[in-house]
Amino acid sequence: MTDQILDAQGLLCPMPVLEAKKALTKMAAGATLKIIATDPAAKGDFEVFCRNTGHELLESSQDGSIYSFRIRRSA
Amino acid sequence: MSNALYILLCSGEHEKIQMAGMMASVAAVSERPVEVFVSMNALLAFANGMQPAERYHGGEFSEVMCAKNAPDAIKLFQSGKEFGDLKMWACSMALDVKGWEMSHLEKDLFDGPGGLTKFLSDAENGQLITV
Amino acid sequence: MSERTTIDARGAFCPGPLMELIAALKMRQIGDEVEVLSSDKGSVTDIPEWCKKVKHECISVDEKTGYWSVLVRKAK
Repeated sequence: MTDQILDAQGLLCPMPVLEAKKALTKMAAGATLKIIATDPAAKGDFEVFCRNTGHELLESSQDGSIYSFRIRRSA
Repeated sequence: MSNALYILLCSGEHEKIQMAGMMASVAAVSERPVEVFVSMNALLAFANGMQPAERYHGGEFSEVMCAKNAPDAIKLFQSGKEFGDLKMWACSMALDVKGWEMSHLEKDLFDGPGGLTKFLSDAENGQLITV
Repeated sequence: MSERTTIDARGAFCPGPLMELIAALKMRQIGDEVEVLSSDKGSVTDIPEWCKKVKHECISVDEKTGYWSVLVRKAK
């Protein structure tokens, strides 16, 4: 299954998390969402967001000022 | 439920920044963990290299504090960090809209840029106040 | 042999005297005493309260003319 992509580059905190939440709500359980963001708070925020909502944070990485995440939508 | 204190500091008023500095430092040195999230006008007061007159804007109490050499707010936060468990976060949104990097802020004070998702979640374990 | 240091924090505003006490205690050995002179009334109650909380020993609080002397022994 391929990732759905959310390009959150340039979005100011807390928009990356809010947009991810919106996207995940429309996805089927088990589907994966890839998020690209430039907000430096996104790393901490997505870890906590996933912990609190039960979605699975599959990947979290940084390349310069670009942060990438992959989240699997929980049931 | 821990006794940790979470301070959400948004006001640019000297009096409020001073109070936040006093609370953060006293709580931290009393062995109470403290985290401060600095956003909005308050972030402007933490730019590095400013003289107190540029940094602090307030009303009647601000004038009296400056005239009487009350402890400097930035130094209070620094004392809290030096002698206790105090973490400070710079609001990522506020840094972004100002176009500031962390290096624009006072040195040795901030633990990094932060977001509300994490700050509010962590604060569920303790006591959250807004200044 | 324990040592005593005196910090003259008269004229300093709360929480200055407490912070100066803490900075001084940090540099001393267990058993040493630090005396803080303060003209700030708030510190006179805050310092004993802080000692109780973090478990240093507040030996005495003496009112002098126009100021207080608070004696603390580093207990840990």
